[in-house]
Amino acid sequence: MTVEEQLIEYAKQGKLLTHKCTECGYLHLSTAYYCLKCGSKGFEDVVLDGVGSIATYTIITVAPAGFEKYTPYAFVILQLDNTDLRISGFMARIATPAELPVGTRAHITGFDERGIIIEKQ
Amino acid sequence: MTFVEKVCVLGAGSTKYGKLSESIADITTQASVAAIESAGISPKDIKASYISNVFGVADKQVHLGPVLMSRLGIPDKPSLSIESACGSGSVAFREAYANVAAGFYDCLVVTGVEKVTHTGTEWTTTYFAYCSDFFYEGQAGASFPGLFASMARAYLTEFDATEEDFAAVAVKNHNNGFLNPKAHMQKKITIDDVMNSAVVASPLKLYDCCPFSDGASSVILCSEKFAKENGSDYIEVIGSGRGGSPAALQGREHMTTIPSTKIAAADAYKMAGITAKDIDFAEVHDCFTIAEIIDTEDLGFFDKGQGVQAVREGRTALNSDISINPSGGLKSKGHPIGATGVGQVVEVFDQLTGKAGARTVKNAKIGLTHNFGATGASCAVHIFQSV
Repeated sequence: MTVEEQLIEYAKQGKLLTHKCTECGYLHLSTAYYCLKCGSKGFEDVVLDGVGSIATYTIITVAPAGFEKYTPYAFVILQLDNTDLRISGFMARIATPAELPVGTRAHITGFDERGIIIEKQ
Repeated sequence: MTFVEKVCVLGAGSTKYGKLSESIADITTQASVAAIESAGISPKDIKASYISNVFGVADKQVHLGPVLMSRLGIPDKPSLSIESACGSGSVAFREAYANVAAGFYDCLVVTGVEKVTHTGTEWTTTYFAYCSDFFYEGQAGASFPGLFASMARAYLTEFDATEEDFAAVAVKNHNNGFLNPKAHMQKKITIDDVMNSAVVASPLKLYDCCPFSDGASSVILCSEKFAKENGSDYIEVIGSGRGGSPAALQGREHMTTIPSTKIAAADAYKMAGITAKDIDFAEVHDCFTIAEIIDTEDLGFFDKGQGVQAVREGRTALNSDISINPSGGLKSKGHPIGATGVGQVVEVFDQLTGKAGARTVKNAKIGLTHNFGATGASCAVHIFQSV
């Protein structure tokens, strides 16, 4: 499996596959091939619960092709608990900012034609 | 770094920006001819071309360089096409700059072009999203307005700012663009117009967004020696910098700053031997209103979080503390994405050679251009001085 396919398989189980640098311990999303901090290539897999809080988001009303039927929806960036990592994803059925204050608790719930799916907890 | 040659901009020209009926090859040539005539040179003086374009495929023409050179009567001369999303123009300019500075060529044409409006909003929204880190962003339904809206939401959360403040950027740039006969949206708007326009990606509304535009811009770059011997009015390139940022917003430590801008600006200021305080006016990448606020902070014109206050107080208006986007910017002048970075240089050339008409920045000696690709994943900054 490619790194993207591996990440997708874990996302389908509500998990996030990450790469921890074996030299310096820095944590990356699993699509990283070299360490951002020390440049080394050795990683160990660390599987995180895909749980955190909304760092920022937008509610999209003018959508790219394929997403028209889902509008309005949110594109969100999730800050993962106990790490410096963030992950982007799709959140269905969000129509107003009042429904999704920054800091809202959320988690990864799957992956489909809408990319990584994130839902409120 | 040592350079063989000082580099000058000897001529500049643009088509009108907007919805154009001519082909991409036609407008590429029109802008190039305007630049050649502005420089007072012959096509035979040009040793090579640098072409910036992203979606030539939309008008059935990629590999534009040889087409342009053939139409200019110099088909034997080499060309290079460059794609760096919305930052393509400044990257093409930088590559041309480096080649003149190194002494490879004494006279080049740099032409940026885009022709997409005939494809419609869905095509452009979809294809422009391919400029994001698609696996993480475009695939999850992020549009470009959506990505900048995510930055805007972060800015609203972190700093003392309102959606009306963002709207004030659009109003200011339309005031400037109203004075620019080449502008796509040559009309004044009000805060209410912005606030009442349709939401595209909350909190950004239609008038927070630049339009999709067609258009082409071109400049002649040459050595100082060539400029003195062959041309008319010219300006000097005194600083050039480039930088990068994590491709996806999620990878950035702060989502209210664009790292590549800071890196590119630091390099350009260092080369020029000046600071942000020395800049008289700047053409910055205001693809969305929030972008201009972030740009003016990252370029060092205002402290972090203060860019919004500066707009509120009118300090970035034409002939105020620092004139930001006297052309009208991407917001009002328009954003033909491959042309934009070159078009910014055209504006600086016109300003510093007395050709900017009613939108002239008074007593300006030093101008800056800032142009980035995608959400600022790539960026180039250039600094120019009148001679």
